[in-house]
Amino acid sequence: MARIPGFVALAVAGALLGFAPPAGSADPLPPSLTYRPLPTQPFSDVKAMDEAQKPQVMQRQADLLEERYDLSDRPIPEVFMSGGMRAVQGGVRVKLPEGVTWEELSSLSPSEIRERGLLPGGFLPLPHVKQATGGQVFPDDQIEAILEQESRDLRRFDVEFDLPKHLTPEFPPPIFLTTRPELGDVSQGQLLTIKNHYELLNGILTPVQMEGLRLLLTPFPQEEFNMTEDRKVEEQSLGVTCLDCHANFNTNAAFHLTPDVRPQAHRFRLDSTSLRGLFNQQIHGSKRSLRSVEDFTEFEQRTAYFNGDHVSATRKGVHLPDRPNQVAMMAQMQNIIDFPPAPKLDPFGRLDPELASEQELEGERIFLGKGRCAVCHVPETAFMNNNMHDLKLERFYQVGTTVNDLVTQPDGAIKTFTLRGIKDTPPYLHDGRLLTLADTVEFFNLVLGLDLEQSEKEALVAYMLAL
Amino acid sequence: MRGFATAATIGLLGALLAAPAAAQYGNPAGMTPGAPQEKPGVPAPDHPNATARLFARLAVAGGLAEVELGELATRQGGGEAVQGFAQRMVEEHSKANERLVGVAGEAGIPLPDAPDAEHQAQRDRLEPLSGRDFDLAYMSGQVRDHIRTAQLLAWEIGSGQDADMQRFAADTLPAVLDHLRQAQELLVRLRTEAGS
Repeated sequence: MARIPGFVALAVAGALLGFAPPAGSADPLPPSLTYRPLPTQPFSDVKAMDEAQKPQVMQRQADLLEERYDLSDRPIPEVFMSGGMRAVQGGVRVKLPEGVTWEELSSLSPSEIRERGLLPGGFLPLPHVKQATGGQVFPDDQIEAILEQESRDLRRFDVEFDLPKHLTPEFPPPIFLTTRPELGDVSQGQLLTIKNHYELLNGILTPVQMEGLRLLLTPFPQEEFNMTEDRKVEEQSLGVTCLDCHANFNTNAAFHLTPDVRPQAHRFRLDSTSLRGLFNQQIHGSKRSLRSVEDFTEFEQRTAYFNGDHVSATRKGVHLPDRPNQVAMMAQMQNIIDFPPAPKLDPFGRLDPELASEQELEGERIFLGKGRCAVCHVPETAFMNNNMHDLKLERFYQVGTTVNDLVTQPDGAIKTFTLRGIKDTPPYLHDGRLLTLADTVEFFNLVLGLDLEQSEKEALVAYMLAL
Repeated sequence: MRGFATAATIGLLGALLAAPAAAQYGNPAGMTPGAPQEKPGVPAPDHPNATARLFARLAVAGGLAEVELGELATRQGGGEAVQGFAQRMVEEHSKANERLVGVAGEAGIPLPDAPDAEHQAQRDRLEPLSGRDFDLAYMSGQVRDHIRTAQLLAWEIGSGQDADMQRFAADTLPAVLDHLRQAQELLVRLRTEAGS
């Protein structure tokens, strides 16, 4: 603009301003694009209709999963998650469009793939089972364990968990502490709850950590689990706890809708993230980029619990943890949760050639080189870079298509998640759209245009299993 | 003609990508109390809730304005690109309006037959303009209108109660987002030219 005489710039600016309608002349859009509408029906009517809809809701989701993925139980021989309780699933599970191979697909340009509609459905955002309602959905293992220990019911009457158990993390996951590494898994094979936490960890935690843990295990009202007619659980509910999703500080693959997007139809699914290694993370939340675990802990009451809607939260009974005491203690507890052991990694996060196989070492070379994985997943900083990145997947598909009521919009910038202990936390990506590590390799091979050979893809999977 | 090629591609893609026309199941908490049901939990066709009624009114008024303003722009627009865009608006919004008026009419929703006051005011501001001034004003309005329309369509997809209207919204949204993308590009180009 420096080259343009001031009066011309002014005239142009004035003209542009003049075109905009005067403030206050236009009606704003309806408020329910931003705010949650109040229910218009009695609880019993809503429940009866939700229950009547449920078989079709679940069938529609099952059909979509079947269309997109091979959901079969095909574990990698002799590869288990860190606690040894569940096998790691192998193979590419995302189905290809008819008549195309992965090699052919990666030879096409993004615009060719978009125009010919060839992006595999499994690479698209994965819808929630019921987009219009959304909210937290827990897997059966979690529901049963909490019912048994606490007599608290996490089962919704409108929806169920949608992925088969073998494609989710082992349950209950092991717990590793940075403060007592020599003890190994301190969970004793149990799910941490408000009932058993003291017995399990007394003598291992400090008083401050213990109080933080108690709060992380205390149920507080949540959008679908509360006392109002707007709940989605049969009995009036005390609510949910932080660790109902982040089971044993890992994840049980419980899912939700992102609190950070409106309107409802655009809100993408969120797969619960593991809290392991939180001590090294500088940003929190896939979209929010909160700068400390304290901020995250404090604000989850507004987001994970109430969809980023503080108005609704106030109506249903928000818990606002006291920052200098409660938040600090919850944060201190979360900050001692370690990654699972990775005996083949040296202190810099690099494979020890004495311990690693030739295929794993080959995988590391690709990870650092041709695969460009380490550009974001930096080994020295716990396989992440504390940044958000936009993969621009929308280069490959038509934006705005509605699938099971979810409007597929570009993902935008999403936080880089750690790859330490990655075999323990399927499904993958922020919404869980990728079921196996082999799927993630095919996804990034296409999205980043890597042109990997089959043997290179297999080496990358072998390497990630060692992290 | 580039606009038409894009439109054709979108149409084709829409056909390829269209999800099976599964019935839409909204959150019954937002249904109209006492709405007749086809079977339990599934509202009978043509019994729209408040969201669907307001959506239809706003979308029809907006659609009529798109056509009217587009016709104005094909006459008074200064540049070929803007005229091509305007022609695309006239054709695609005419078609979309026809479908929406059909489904909303079946649902018994009273619909406007002319653009709303806001769009009439927009037209009044545009009428005395021509050439580049017209193009800038028209395209600014188009960006704003298409953002609003995209929001309204997503609102209907998520909160409506009439399956036909929700399907209309889902089918229309990709094209509206493509209009928006084109409008944003054109507006930036016009501003750049105006500033150079």
